[in-house]
Amino acid sequence: MSEAVIPSIAHPARLRTRIARELRPIWPFLLIFVGFALIALLAPLVAPYNPNSQNLLARLKPPGTTVRNVLYLLGTDEVGRDLLSRLIYGARVSLMVALLSVLVSTTLGTVLGMIAGFYRGVAEIIIMRLVDIVLSIPAILLAIITIAVLGPGLHNVVVVLGFTRWPRYARVAYGQTLAVMGLTFMRASAFNGAGALRLLGRHVFPNIAGAIIVVATLEFGLMVLFEAGLSFLGLGVQPPMPSWGSILSVGRNYMGTAWWIATFPGLCLFLLVLSINVIGDRMRDRLDPRSTR
Amino acid sequence: MARWLMRFSIAALTATLFVGGALAAKDVLVVDLVQEPSSLDPHLQWNPDSYFVYRNVFDNMVTRDDEGKITPQVATSWRQIDDSTTEFTLRSDIKFHDGTPLTADDVVFSVKRIIDPALKSPQRDQFNKIVDATAVNPTTVQLKTEGPYPVLLAQLVKLSIVPKAHVTQVGNDKFNQEPMGSGPYKFVSIQRGVKTTLARNDTYWGTKGPFATAEFHAVPDPATRVADLRSGKADLIVTINADLAAELKKDARVKVLSVLSERVAYFHLNALAGPTADLRVRKAIAHAIDRQGIIDGLMAGYDKPATTMLSPVHVGYVEGFKGYAYDPAKAKALLKEAGITADTSFTLFTAPTFDQRIVQAIQQMLIDVGMKVTIVTSDFAGWLKRAQSSPAEFGEMSFSRWSCGCQDADGVLFPLYHSSSQWAKLRDGAIDKELEAGRSLLDPAARLTHYKRVHELAEAAVPLVPLYQVAILYGARKELRWTPTPNESFFINRMKWEE
Amino acid sequence: MGRFLLRRLIQSAVAILGTITLVFFIQRLAGDPTLLMLPEGATRQDIETLRHQLGFDRPLAIQYLDYLAQLARFDLGQSLVQRVPVLDIIVARLPYTLYLAGSALLVAVGIGLPVGIVMAVRRDTKLERVLMALVLVGQSMPTFWSGILLILLFAVTLGAMPSSGVDGLRSVVLPAIALGALTMATYARVARTAVLEELGRDYVSAAQAKGLLFRSVISRHILRNAATPIITISALEIANLLAGAVIVETVFAWPGLGQLAVQSIAARDFPIVQSIVLLSAFVSIALNLAADILYSVVDPRIRLDGVA
Repeated sequence: MSEAVIPSIAHPARLRTRIARELRPIWPFLLIFVGFALIALLAPLVAPYNPNSQNLLARLKPPGTTVRNVLYLLGTDEVGRDLLSRLIYGARVSLMVALLSVLVSTTLGTVLGMIAGFYRGVAEIIIMRLVDIVLSIPAILLAIITIAVLGPGLHNVVVVLGFTRWPRYARVAYGQTLAVMGLTFMRASAFNGAGALRLLGRHVFPNIAGAIIVVATLEFGLMVLFEAGLSFLGLGVQPPMPSWGSILSVGRNYMGTAWWIATFPGLCLFLLVLSINVIGDRMRDRLDPRSTR
Repeated sequence: MARWLMRFSIAALTATLFVGGALAAKDVLVVDLVQEPSSLDPHLQWNPDSYFVYRNVFDNMVTRDDEGKITPQVATSWRQIDDSTTEFTLRSDIKFHDGTPLTADDVVFSVKRIIDPALKSPQRDQFNKIVDATAVNPTTVQLKTEGPYPVLLAQLVKLSIVPKAHVTQVGNDKFNQEPMGSGPYKFVSIQRGVKTTLARNDTYWGTKGPFATAEFHAVPDPATRVADLRSGKADLIVTINADLAAELKKDARVKVLSVLSERVAYFHLNALAGPTADLRVRKAIAHAIDRQGIIDGLMAGYDKPATTMLSPVHVGYVEGFKGYAYDPAKAKALLKEAGITADTSFTLFTAPTFDQRIVQAIQQMLIDVGMKVTIVTSDFAGWLKRAQSSPAEFGEMSFSRWSCGCQDADGVLFPLYHSSSQWAKLRDGAIDKELEAGRSLLDPAARLTHYKRVHELAEAAVPLVPLYQVAILYGARKELRWTPTPNESFFINRMKWEE
Repeated sequence: MGRFLLRRLIQSAVAILGTITLVFFIQRLAGDPTLLMLPEGATRQDIETLRHQLGFDRPLAIQYLDYLAQLARFDLGQSLVQRVPVLDIIVARLPYTLYLAGSALLVAVGIGLPVGIVMAVRRDTKLERVLMALVLVGQSMPTFWSGILLILLFAVTLGAMPSSGVDGLRSVVLPAIALGALTMATYARVARTAVLEELGRDYVSAAQAKGLLFRSVISRHILRNAATPIITISALEIANLLAGAVIVETVFAWPGLGQLAVQSIAARDFPIVQSIVLLSAFVSIALNLAADILYSVVDPRIRLDGVA
């Protein structure tokens, strides 16, 4: 977990132990993340039952209950659905929403940030003030207000998250673009009359990609939490589609009688975000050694 | 005189001893509501969290007893002068909390205030059939309605009388922050987002409250309300579902109070657009829903299956309607006949306000008979907008619950079935005619024949599927004696505390 | 410095104006509160009457200009639902949020800083790994889950703490822990990095070579120098705490501004939502400005007239 990158010409043997030491703590987390990704991809194959099929006679059954030859490994929810199957399909929702919204916000933010940094002038003023505006409203509030207009649902959550989170990328892309533009080779290619698009694509983007990827990785974990948070408030995906956040919020009403409903989705959420954070940390150390956070 | 004085002192002494004993046992009643009251002015917002509080601070024109019968409160008697004029005789011994007497002027002022557009009262439409109010003398008031209006008394149950002089003096804004009425409790304070406190009016003309103080706490989370009750932090909690009630039943210190309310749950179908415009499809849906299954499986049997949109406590209720029996085979056959396949998509729109367990259970029942049903959720504001939108925007179906708070057929059937209403997704001239007749006659028997006809026509046309009469559940400490009423009223002075 | 301040102030004013404009129009798209206020069965005419009385049938541009004019008079307006001045409502709710956020900050700093320092000083030991695990847990715990777990454990099972609401001093403990966890992790990381950086500097080795006690070096020099990044992230972290309060207040039924915001958005109580957004924009901009100024004061190498 060391941020300090020692720029020494390392002894081969010391280098080997160093690599081993750095990899050791991360592989369990990689495993967790890949595990969740696989479960999400293969949900129909892994899930023991249909996540939406109800049995009103088997409501709120504790983990390990068997009702009419159906084994509920993690118990059932408030309308008698298999909790394990819902968690497995919930992984799908979590990862899909996080991935798509990161894609949306990265694209939007990077493009706008690069435009602001490259063209300066009016574009810079408009885009960067818009960044200020969106950043000065707490993201969760802006998301709730916007959901009230669009209505909940998987697509809308992606749109809202993309819309509220792009300024983070725009700031990074903007700052990096400014820095890159200051480099002498850029001035040279500008003098050569290289097209703006080519300039941005060939020279600017490759130089800022590292920083953007670092932000995206950290945001990915945050987006998982955001989706769960919105679903927790009843503003996320539509029922009966399972989301860890909405299962949790139902479980809150059954804390005294059915602890499993709130416990397991929270655990999944925690493990997924933990693995993303650890992996993200490591990537940041590699790609952006100067950063302090 | 001396004897009278003597008797009075003994009575007072006994009362003090009795009350004193009760006081030592229970001084403060703590009620967990969902949110803080939206307004304290009884002429502004009208929702349970608000009227549970302000109804105790004011007296109403008339009231309903625990059986639901309309009985005197401020008005002691009333008579019809002509088709559109009713004369009320008022009590003469009512005093507002500042000591001034309540007179006919205050009643006239209250009526005119609530129907005045300048007050912007959301309750205005419940009273705007009243076109004029006049004080004949200090204890007599005449109300004039726009033609014969059979629901007048039922609406006056909800008319709180406010003090004219005080309101005019302090202004509407101040009155809303520090309300003053003539009811069994006085307003003390509001701690925003936390609690509202009332104190007993010891000079109340009627039954005095059993608790010196009443506190209404805002507790949005139902599980927390249950925890508060079980830990002794609250004495009475509102709005719990059957699962939480089951949790309470295991605890000997608390109990569940339930009442079958005038609220009826229904499944609205769009008879004017989309696949549900086909009568066979609507009938199929009615056959596909297992009411009893929902009630037994999810509501622990508290609620009661309904076959019309009225409950037995409504004027206009008619017994004997069978509704559509649960029959999945028949449902499938009807769908096949109508040419519905697994590709026909139906939207079921709902809001988190409604019990999502029921919505999802119904969705599953429809899927079981081979329909493709997608749930669409929005917040309650969005839901209201869509529920009152044009048939083209409405979608196919929606789950909802209805109460007019007036226990009268006109407040339920007219908005749900009449062509002119934005709620109705049905155009049926015969139903319209019956509904119009029902609201313009004063004779209850004559009205009933019209409403019977409405039930028959509605059952044939299935613009909606009545599901069940909603049970309202409260949690209370064992010692609390209270009978909840079908109109969800909340009068502290009708409660008792018995150790 | 003066020019910088002026520029930042103008930028801030633009951002605040933009913020309220954005929120004003997005909210209006979601529909007005008329339908929510009326009882079931209100006729179309009743709805239109009330809508007219509340002024929502006017063109949006007029409503917007009206709102700006009202703000210019420092009038936040009246809650549409409660019919009480917005200022009264916010003044009543704000202390709860400040109390909660303050307690959470206390938890975060009180645990985060020592943990970070120990992690740096005891680098590459078992202790560091254990503490790092704590930091990672704090960072990855969704507040609404940790909130529920805390309630389940301390309130429901042990009965040691109030489950929710404000009820004496103890009731802030659980929500403050839930809210403070993430910030705690951030403080620990920053403190660790900052102290590590200082430990690598020449003066530390020099001091150690001189035979000074390690402990006194830490307290005297390292901490003072490492304070810079810690103080500067505080501004951001306070803003994060206030935003995080939205969820935590909902989980714990805490009567602060976060809960009020969520309820008011649902109730379409525009004046309240707008005022809360306005307030949070002010706070976040002020905190950012404070961070920049602080940064330049503690580290004069940073010039304030840099990029926008």
